[in-house]
Amino acid sequence: MKNAGIVAVASLLGGKPHYIHVGWFQISVANLVVIVLMIVVFVLAIVLPFPREREKR
Amino acid sequence: MSAHDKPSTWTGRLRRSALRALPPDRLLPENQPAYVSSWVYVFGVLTIASLVVVVGSGIVLVVFGPTWWHVSGIGHFVNSLHLWSAEAFFFFMAIHLWGKYFMAAWRGRRALTWMIGATCFLAAIATAFTGYLSQQNFDSQWIATQAKDGLNASGIGSVFNVLNSGQMLVWHVLLLPLVLILLVVVHILLVRLRGVVPPLPAQTKGVPEEENPGYPRNPDPAVEWKGAKRRYDLIKELVAAVGVIMLVTVVLGAIFSSPDERPATIARWANAEPADFLVTAVSELDGTSGTATYGPPYTRTAGAGQNVFDSFSPARLAGVRIPTDSAQVFVLRPLSIPAKSDPTLTAALAAYRSASTSQRRLWTGNYGKALAKVSFSAGAPVVASGNYGPVALMMRALLGQARSGGLDGALLSGGRFYQTDYTKPLLLLSDGAYLEGLAQRQNLLGDQWGMMNETGNYPGQAWLWLYTFWYQVPPFKTSENADAQIWAIMALLSLALICVPFLPVIRGLPRRLGVYRLIWRDYYRRVERSGG
Repeated sequence: MKNAGIVAVASLLGGKPHYIHVGWFQISVANLVVIVLMIVVFVLAIVLPFPREREKR
Repeated sequence: MSAHDKPSTWTGRLRRSALRALPPDRLLPENQPAYVSSWVYVFGVLTIASLVVVVGSGIVLVVFGPTWWHVSGIGHFVNSLHLWSAEAFFFFMAIHLWGKYFMAAWRGRRALTWMIGATCFLAAIATAFTGYLSQQNFDSQWIATQAKDGLNASGIGSVFNVLNSGQMLVWHVLLLPLVLILLVVVHILLVRLRGVVPPLPAQTKGVPEEENPGYPRNPDPAVEWKGAKRRYDLIKELVAAVGVIMLVTVVLGAIFSSPDERPATIARWANAEPADFLVTAVSELDGTSGTATYGPPYTRTAGAGQNVFDSFSPARLAGVRIPTDSAQVFVLRPLSIPAKSDPTLTAALAAYRSASTSQRRLWTGNYGKALAKVSFSAGAPVVASGNYGPVALMMRALLGQARSGGLDGALLSGGRFYQTDYTKPLLLLSDGAYLEGLAQRQNLLGDQWGMMNETGNYPGQAWLWLYTFWYQVPPFKTSENADAQIWAIMALLSLALICVPFLPVIRGLPRRLGVYRLIWRDYYRRVERSGG
């Protein structure tokens, strides 16, 4: 069952392409996910506190 | 001065110069300025870590050869690692670039660091592009046939021939990685020598009473940081980043694998869509096909070759460097192979060659019209009777040759034992409608923003969004010179990216946008506390 799940996910990426088409603009769902993820990661990197360490002069 | 300070040998002088230029304590410090206190700083090292995995997986692919990953499960998995680490590389490099822009990281004699970093980004795009071209599958075929127009329009298509798979492979596995790695090394050395750029001046209300020397209000970016520092283990960070990227790419590779759509061949085309093949073959024979009328670098066609503006055409300046007589290359020469054992075909070829140009055009014109109602009987084309001369027999023989795979071999063969140049078969394939039909089903056409896309549902080259964007908007959408003009625009924009530190409005934006206040908020809090 576990292998079947992995095969299902892999075939999802290899299967019929999924696209978002609005007027003259078109983007694959995969590319959109990557771009949104980049923005989310960048915002999180700015917002999340960085671990504090001992400081020295 | 002692003898040690003044070396008398070349070796000693080189050592002294190297130590002066690259002092070890600057290259590998154990502390960083206290303002290096944001997750934004990890994207540089994550980019380097991704590059390490890209290069490592690439070396394994090179060791086993370019076809290994198509036939081996382990090879395919290594290719998946290569793909996902390349995606990670661009993912983190783009975020790193955003972060450095919002920090105005070129301040304090760091313009060269930015410029080399931006050049790394462009070199990485070129490296990835040649990687896509080296896949030896449908994706690489389609990218090659489309990219050739842009490169030909810019005049470098014959020198950098994207249809030549062997040439692209060498660029991808040797030349461009060398350039990219060298640029990355110089970029890292500059970052270490100049130090991490300090925060922009703090904007405090009123006149501060005192200033904490550890957190100066207005640090001079051109002077070495003398304020507070924090422990920062660069090597530990790099090792951890490589581990994280390895883990992520292994998981993504294991779950999602990587695309490998089988390549189109002339044999597949001729069997799947024989009518389209015949129409294309006739257009090659009578000199009306896309290749026959292309212009430089393939043919001498009056007026052909895209213009950047007015009549300025880099393509025409470069000239015909890959001369391609479509009738000879795609029809007559390949048919001469089966003609050696077929007297009827030999006679047909002789009749065609000895006929006048007008007679040939009459035959091909008649046969081309008849193909509109072609049917097939036992694999052979059947058309209404007409004055086709030897053309009907020639086309029947060429279709048979194509269906058997003989035409694939004939077009690849160049009188040499090793064959890596696919210029001829790809030009013939791109003249027909079959290849385009396959690409359309995969959303790879230009008006489908195909340059960004990958076969299936895999993420593609999202970083080419701006390049493919221009093709969707007027006047480029309908311009016959779109490739030349968009290449010129992208060359200018690339130059602008490199020169951001010198562009008046663009370089001032980070101060106005204020994202830097969030990135360095810990630092500004300390400044506020000491100033209050």
